[in-house]
This record gives sequence, structure tokens and C-alpha cells, in this order.
Amino acid sequence: MLLWRCLTPLLLITLQICKAQDCHKFTDLNFGHAFMGTSTKIRLLLYTRDKATCGTLVSHSNLSGHPQFNLSRPTTFIIHGYRPTGSPPVWMSKMTEQLLARTDINVIEVDWNHGAANLNYFKSVENTRMVAANLTAFIGMMQEHGVSLSSIHMIGISLGAHISGFVGANLNGSIGRITALDPAGPQFTGTAPQDRLDKEDAQFVDVLHTDMDALGYREPLGHIDFYANGGADQPGCPKTIFAGGAYFKCDHQRSALLFIESLNGTCASTAFPCSSYTNFLDGNCLNCDQFGAAGCPVFGYDVIQWKDVLLRLGQTTTYFTTNEKSPFCTTNYILDMVIWNMKERWGYITVKLYYNGTEAVATIDHKASKFKKYTGTKLFAQFDKDIQSVEKMSLKFSTGNVFKPKYKLRILRIRLTHLEHKKRPLCRYDIVLEEGKEVTFRPIPCEESNF
Amino acid sequence: MQTSMNFELKEVKTNGSDGATCLANEEVTTGNGDGAAHRTVEVTERDGLLSEQQIDGSNGSAGHEAEVQMNRGNACTQDVSNVHRIKRELNEVIFWKIRRWMVIVIILIIILLVIFISLALCSAIYDDEEEKIDPSLLKVPQYFNGSFQLPNLISTEDLVSLSSTESQTLAADLQKKLADLYTSSPALGQYFSKAEIFAFRNGSVIADYQLTFLMPEEQQDQLRQFTLSREMVYNVFRQFLYDQEPDKSERLFIDPVSLSMV
Repeated sequence: MLLWRCLTPLLLITLQICKAQDCHKFTDLNFGHAFMGTSTKIRLLLYTRDKATCGTLVSHSNLSGHPQFNLSRPTTFIIHGYRPTGSPPVWMSKMTEQLLARTDINVIEVDWNHGAANLNYFKSVENTRMVAANLTAFIGMMQEHGVSLSSIHMIGISLGAHISGFVGANLNGSIGRITALDPAGPQFTGTAPQDRLDKEDAQFVDVLHTDMDALGYREPLGHIDFYANGGADQPGCPKTIFAGGAYFKCDHQRSALLFIESLNGTCASTAFPCSSYTNFLDGNCLNCDQFGAAGCPVFGYDVIQWKDVLLRLGQTTTYFTTNEKSPFCTTNYILDMVIWNMKERWGYITVKLYYNGTEAVATIDHKASKFKKYTGTKLFAQFDKDIQSVEKMSLKFSTGNVFKPKYKLRILRIRLTHLEHKKRPLCRYDIVLEEGKEVTFRPIPCEESNF
Repeated sequence: MQTSMNFELKEVKTNGSDGATCLANEEVTTGNGDGAAHRTVEVTERDGLLSEQQIDGSNGSAGHEAEVQMNRGNACTQDVSNVHRIKRELNEVIFWKIRRWMVIVIILIIILLVIFISLALCSAIYDDEEEKIDPSLLKVPQYFNGSFQLPNLISTEDLVSLSSTESQTLAADLQKKLADLYTSSPALGQYFSKAEIFAFRNGSVIADYQLTFLMPEEQQDQLRQFTLSREMVYNVFRQFLYDQEPDKSERLFIDPVSLSMV
């Protein structure tokens, strides 16, 4: 009896270990491999809802050996990019997990770490063609098993985005969707559409740009292009090289993190079509009438809901802002101000909203705003969080001048309007803001206005 | 101390006397604000050999060194003696241990200080006040009428007839409340003239009021449209009512929802 008691846990542990060994892991290489260079080797790791954290290595030639690969379900491929250090991408398993939590699909992680891990970036770029050819053959085999190309979604990060594009082009643009997360710029910028991702590569191509000034791609590539925070520099990412490796990859990697957050539905980033980021920050692009009843598109996984209207529009460039860290989405308001100062004033406004101990902040400082007597100034305020209802709010006016007198901004009325909720705007009348001093007050629901 | 090995050799002038060449070793120490005082010029002519010199640019001692060397060598050019003279004058002791160059530096520092202090003072003292309109120019009246409810009062015969002392005290209290509210308003204060309560109505007490503002003749259209618009006058009152303590027992408590204005 005692023997059994000892043996049972031991047996169970052994069983667990055996089971665990069945799981296939993403190839873990080190800097040495990257230094020596690796030749391309593609592994396809299948994840399904029954085994969401345990990958199964899928054969390239025979699908019948994988009963859990249910071809009646849609299939999503995740393709990573350049791996200069050879380490597995940190976001990969999280993305797989969240995709499976959202929908019952087959997720295939395309592990081409052998091929991507190479100090010589140009070599990795060359290898993308080989990966694409391999994936095309694999999807061709799925087709033979009766899979419709429309049910295939490819999510490609950096070089992976272009791989998705090549696969799509090989299949005459008939795969369902390509999501490109910060498609790689170096070696691709300025090339012909067949040498990079373009919107003919799939029925629907959605693109996110987060690092277009370094590793990403500047020009629009899809049916819809999202430029997070303008697409160049992401908040919370280091600005100097002293931060080490993060300086190079933070902006680029943010694209994957933003997409993952769009999956779990905690918060949505509404994107606004606009001609430039500055125009967007000025609040000139808040109209989404062109999308009809659907309204402004929401960044991420669910943008597929706007597919029809986006295909009709051809190409749409949109902008949104994010916070420094998760939750990334911001809450957008319009702040209207009318002043009665005799002289024109220029400055920055910081707004805070309070509710039940929580505080949301928006700083409008992308440029100095102009305030002119009896002329409304419209400001676009992005708050770091959503506030259920505004109990109190505070305003601060600053000019950034050190040796100039402290100016006052004499406000007749401010009006705060939530962009998404159709709530009644909040107003406050007759406030004097002294430069650098925060003024707190309780806003009241606005009455209809004549000015 | 700074050991400088790379002198810049500069041929100044050949003076014609026995073909002797006068070489000036000139080094201007960098990172020194009052370089003029420390400009060290050395004249070296020792058996035709140039020896490496150690120059101390951080204090006045270099000057002495240079002087010694000057004495040892030949005073060969006018230029060099000019520089030498300026240096001597700068080093002149004015009183106690204070030399002339120190005085110059101190004066410069004082000038800079004065500039900064006055700038700082200006920005601190400056009060960004709007031009006050001369009260004698305020002639054009602008009236606003309306009513509000006083839920904490019970109407009586006395209150309704405005002649009673009870109603007159109440009216005076309310008029003061309104006058205080509008005179303390930054935007409306200077135009406010008076507030009148001209009737109390039955039921739970409803007070009828009239507000009078005075505008200057010029800009009256703009004022009517913005600052003295019904929207402003009404909402300044309304937000005041929303801001008041929700102490419902207070006699003069005005129900914010009941406020009307035409």
C-alpha cells in the first residue's frame, strides 16, 4: 500500500513529463547561431483550442497524421520577422493564446528561426522567398484537402509581413486576409509591388505602422494602414541608444503588442482617416461619415468588419494614439474653448478628469494652440483612460516661456465632448487660468449654444 | 596644471638686427572665460634652441613666468611689448590683493546678475490684467429676466405682498446673493449693474428677478453675442447654483433645476 502511494505520484509525474515532451517548442537559438548564420529550416507549429499551449509539429507533406488539424476550421498563420539574436519572439505564444481565446481556429506558428537568425540582415531578407515558397506549397496541400483560401488569415510581423505578401501573391491574392504588423522597411522600401507586400496579395490587407523611421515601412501597403502615434516613435520607448537593445526594437515590437491587445477586447483604439499625423492631432480628421453607419474603423483584429467599405474606398490611411503601456488605448474628447482676452494667446493645455479617485490626463502639447478673442479654439484631447462620468475636472495653461510674464487665459466657456459616446457635452463658464496653475472645478451639462 | 606639448610656433617678425629671429610661443588656454587676462605670450630665444615650456593657464602665475622669461630674452618687438604692457596693467594691484582684471570680471558678473534679476522680477511682478473699461462709458443697458424657486421657504400672505418687512428682507438677501455672484465673475463683473427681485409667487416660493448689465456703446454687438449673451449670464448663475453646498435646509437655497432666464 505504501509502495503504491509512493509510486502513484511518481507515475503521474512521469506521465506528465512524457506528455510535455509531445509539445513542440519554437526553435531557441542563440547569438552564436546568428553570428555564424543559419540556413533556412521551416517548422510549422499547430495550436488549437484543445491544446492551446502545446504545439504540434506539422508535417509538410502529410496532413493526415494530425487529427487535431481540423481543416473545416479557419486557419491563421503567424509569421515572425528578423531574429538577430536567435531567441524565440516573446509575443508569439501570447498572440496564439489570445487568437484561440477569441475564435475556434487552427493557429500555425511559422517558425523560420533557422533563416531569420542571422547577423546579416540581407541574408534573412533573401530567405523570405524560400519561406514563402514553402508556405505556398503547404497551403496548396491544404487546398487539396478542400480548404478554401478565403478561410486563411496570415499575420506577419516585419519580414513576416512581406513573406505573407509573397505567399498571397503566389496564390493570386485569393487568401482571405493578411495582417501586416510593422512590415519591414529596409530592403523593401521603394521596391515594386511584386517584391514586397501590397494590397493585391489578399482579399483584405490591414497594416499597422509603428517604426516607419527605422525598421518599418513608411508608405501605405494595404487596404487600410494604421499609423500608431504617427507611425514613427512610440510612447514609452527609449529615445536614446543608452537604453541598449530596446532602443532598436521597442517601436517595432510595439506593433505585435498593440495587435495582441486588440484581441482580448479590453479596450479598442478608434482610428481616424487623415492626410497627416499633424492634421489628426489638430483635430481636423474626426469625421468618419465616409464609413457610413459603421463609423470610424477600430484598429486590430476586428477591422475585418469594415472590409466591404474599405475595399470600396480602395486605400485608407488612418491614425490613432496610444498610451505608454498596456492598456494602450486612449479615450478621445474634443475640447472647445472660447476666450475673451483682448490679445491673442498661445500655449498648451493639460486637462484632467476625475471620477471616484481615478484620474485621466490629456496633454495637448504637440504644438502651441492659438487662442483668440471670441473665436472658438478646438482641441483634440486624448486621455490615458476612460472615465465613466466626470465628477470634477481641472485645466492647466502653460506657455513654456521661462522669462516671460505669467499670462492669464480668460475663458468664457469650455466644452468637453466625448467622441464616441453620444453623451451630452460638459461645460464650464467664466474661468481664469493663470499660467502654470491648475484650476479644478465641477463641469455642468451644456445648454444648447449660440456661439 | 596643464602640460602643453604642442606649441604653435609663429614667426612674428624679423627685426633686421643681426638677423635674429623672434619667435613667439602663443597659447590661448581654452575653457577659460576671461581668456584675455590669461593670454600668455612667451618669447623664447635661448641659444637658438626652443625649449618646451610648461604653461599654467589657470592662474596668474603664468604671467610671472612669462615676465621672467621676457627679461631673460631680448625684448624684440613692439607687438610683444604691447601685449606685455596690457598684461602688466591688468595685473596691477588696485587695492589690498585685488588686481585690475578681477575688478573687470566682477563688474561683468554684476551686469549679468542685474539683467537676470530684472527679467525675473519683471515676470513675477507683471500682472496680466485686462483693460478696465471706464465706468462712465458703460451706458447701454442689457436686461435679463427670469425666476427661480426657493424650496426651503413656505409661502405666506406676507411674503407675496412685497410691502411686508418679511418679503423685503428676503428680497434684499437674495439681491445681495445675486449681486455678489455677478460682481465676483471675472468676465461679467465689470458690466454688472444691479439685481432686483420684484415679485414672489405663490406655492413653494418662486422669485422673479431682473438683472441689469451696462455696456459701452462700442463693441456692444460683440458683447451681446458673447460675454453678455443670455447663455453666459444664465450659465454663470446655473453653475454657481450647482457649486453651492447641497445643504437643503438653508433658507436662501435655490433649486438649480428651477432657474429660468429669458
